[in-house]
Amino acid sequence: MSTSLSLNPLIPLKFQLKIHQNSCLSHLGISRFCSRRRRSSTILRARFEDSQRTTDQQQLNLSVLRFTLGIPGLDESYLPRWIGYAFGALLLLNHFVGSNSTPTPAQLRSEALGLSLAGFSIALPYLGKFLKGATSLDQTTLPEGAEQIFVMSQNISDTLKEDLAWGTYILLRNTNTTSMLISIQDALCVRGYWNTPEEVSKAHALDWFEKLIQRIGLSDLKDTLYFPQREDSELWEMLPKGTCSLLIQPVLQAPKQSSSQTEKTEGFVLLASTTSYAYSNKDRAWIGAVANKFRDSRR
Amino acid sequence: MEAGSLLCPIPLNPKRLFSRRLTSFPRFIRASSNLEGGYRGPKPKKEWVADWVSKNDDTARSLPIYVGGASLLAVLLNRTVSGIAPVADASSSQSRADLLTLGLAVTNILAGLVWLSIRPKSISVVNPQGLECQRTNSHLPDFVVSELLWVWESLSVVTCCRSLVIVYDGRCIFQIGFAAASSGNDGEAVAVDANKLMQGSLYQGVIKSGSQSYLANLSLYPGKSELPFLPSNTQAVILQPIGYKGIAVIGGDTIRGFTSSDQAWITLIGEKLDATLTKVDNPTLAVQDRG
Repeated sequence: MSTSLSLNPLIPLKFQLKIHQNSCLSHLGISRFCSRRRRSSTILRARFEDSQRTTDQQQLNLSVLRFTLGIPGLDESYLPRWIGYAFGALLLLNHFVGSNSTPTPAQLRSEALGLSLAGFSIALPYLGKFLKGATSLDQTTLPEGAEQIFVMSQNISDTLKEDLAWGTYILLRNTNTTSMLISIQDALCVRGYWNTPEEVSKAHALDWFEKLIQRIGLSDLKDTLYFPQREDSELWEMLPKGTCSLLIQPVLQAPKQSSSQTEKTEGFVLLASTTSYAYSNKDRAWIGAVANKFRDSRR
Repeated sequence: MEAGSLLCPIPLNPKRLFSRRLTSFPRFIRASSNLEGGYRGPKPKKEWVADWVSKNDDTARSLPIYVGGASLLAVLLNRTVSGIAPVADASSSQSRADLLTLGLAVTNILAGLVWLSIRPKSISVVNPQGLECQRTNSHLPDFVVSELLWVWESLSVVTCCRSLVIVYDGRCIFQIGFAAASSGNDGEAVAVDANKLMQGSLYQGVIKSGSQSYLANLSLYPGKSELPFLPSNTQAVILQPIGYKGIAVIGGDTIRGFTSSDQAWITLIGEKLDATLTKVDNPTLAVQDRG
């Protein structure tokens, strides 16, 4: 099924916010990465000087230099991975094709070292994702076979309807979310890309979601659950294909003066995205703040 | 004017609830204490690599440099130990393998240097000098007040915001958080002169452009004098227009403390406040203290 990007204008899924915040960074345009020993020493020198200078400047962008090939649209932070693949392949080629005689132990040692380095280089972008200040540059893709829906329970007050509409809109727009669901007491609001089965019509979509929620017992959740990567479980079956991360944020009642140990849950907010590690700490803090808006909401 | 009014402490309960949840936000989540009739779904598994890298940020950043440097030395050592001259030509198979390994080592070193150079600078928090207060226009309906309190709670817990002032329709309807202490002996916080603020260039500029203004380092801006109600050592300020009739002044305690994602969220919250406040007809009278 086609995943066209012509979305309902009411829901401008704003992916641009999360993408490429490096546009404000200053680039040192190195024209070609052809590093061997001589060139690399020049690059090292230039980089040290620049980092000294810019730590003294007061500027909004934090990053100093990015190692760039100057090609727009190419993500240079994945360069070590490509180099790892390329050089690892060349090493293997050299081993099998390169020499006429059997390889010496020295060469085998050298190749083993080279291959492990290649493996480490390939893993480098993955490690870099978890460093402080790392921005995720993955584009959010739309899930396959899912259609965009927006349904809400009807028998609730207008204020709650507005709040739910606003809450879903703001979360879809400002985070990497492609599908979301809010359930507060008896009210349910579903928005985004879901694949409801064919036989379920729009009118009964809400009942279908209700049944799913009851089966898993999501309404009784007390802790925030964050699944940054896809796992195989029943919970993931209800989500559209291609969903990689999932965040479930319970909405807890404000503790009263004479509160007991356990807090009562009023509902939960479920967010799903097609990129893995979609929700950073900051994102989750804001999602918690928006979920608190639905605390103590009356029918 | 407020007669004999004392400073009202901020209700700490919501903040405590929030900050408890905020600090217990690891990537993995401990099992829910709920038993029968509770949640029956899966729990997320622990992420070892992600946790290690986040906790040891500095070590992780210099790791590629050490790995690359060690491999460089290992290649040279290998050559000397096996008695081959360290000559860089691509003639023999051994040389080619060595060159490729050296290339990978250099890539790692450069990647490590890039990571070190893009380390975010840690900026210290400057505690605002002033008094805490909470003032709300007494003629606001309950739903507006609860929404304003929710905005304050969200901002103060998630961002570095320590002061919040909302001016709407020609009067200050909400002032909460830290405020500058007035110079008199009554120990009160400085009240917001809405008219003076609205005639100033900051307000005019923001309303005219209709978009948010972020003063990342307040001490550099001459417009600081138009915000006398904020603590004098407020580090960063965001001015968010609320429709055409109002402005929200959000003061933070760190230079450049508001990230771009914070700015985006604050813009959307400003639009929500506009929608809510237009439903209120005619807030009258000045701001009064609320207990």
